[in-house]
Amino acid sequence: MLQILFDRKEPSSYEVREHQNFQEILAAFNYQQKVNNPWRYWYYPVLTVCLLLLV
Amino acid sequence: MPLQFSLPQQSFLLEEERTQIERAQQDPRFFAPLYERYHDAIFRYVYRRVDEEEQAYDITSSVFVKALQALHKYEYRGLPFSAWLFRIAKSELYQSFRDQKAQRTVSIDKVVLKQVIEDWTEDYTEQDKARLLLALKGLKEQQLQLIEMRFFEKRSFKEIGEICGLSENNAKVKTFRAVLKLKEFFHQKE
Repeated sequence: MLQILFDRKEPSSYEVREHQNFQEILAAFNYQQKVNNPWRYWYYPVLTVCLLLLV
Repeated sequence: MPLQFSLPQQSFLLEEERTQIERAQQDPRFFAPLYERYHDAIFRYVYRRVDEEEQAYDITSSVFVKALQALHKYEYRGLPFSAWLFRIAKSELYQSFRDQKAQRTVSIDKVVLKQVIEDWTEDYTEQDKARLLLALKGLKEQQLQLIEMRFFEKRSFKEIGEICGLSENNAKVKTFRAVLKLKEFFHQKE
């Protein structure tokens, strides 16, 4: 359903900048990268096994 | 807010932008200047199409996260980087409409609406306004997008084409057809 709004007040550029910044976006991106990494469940077990083998 | 620059400024910015993109492709931390340049324009594009401000912030945030994720695939093919971001924004917006996280909204200034109506009828009445709103609701989504960008956001055909993935001429033709359709609906409701 289409909604039509008239003379809507838009937040100022300052408010937009205050509300959202690049560091938040970068943090979200880094988190996504971590979550999407297929090795994340294997990394520590594999590392532990390698260390044990070395020892 | 359409981004407009003069020609020498444009070529300088394009060159500078390409360098920034290449740096950001190596390290996402260097994406900051691109983010600073386009964040406001992307936010306003999204904000005018959703009913809640918080939704607009969420969608804008996911646009930039998606952009960072896909940045390594980005290749310069004559289209400005902003067009690539607007396309991601468009796809994120429609995804949130499909998921029913946001409601499709058209934000209109009354002054602009009056100008549009005055082009078609001799004098503007409240009844005309109601008729135009009904006519807008009758349009197909793509036609509505074109009308919205051309008349309510005052974007150039070149920019509309870049956002919609059309050539400038094709954008002109399709917008013209959308206007004809809108006029047809507007006069039908008389």
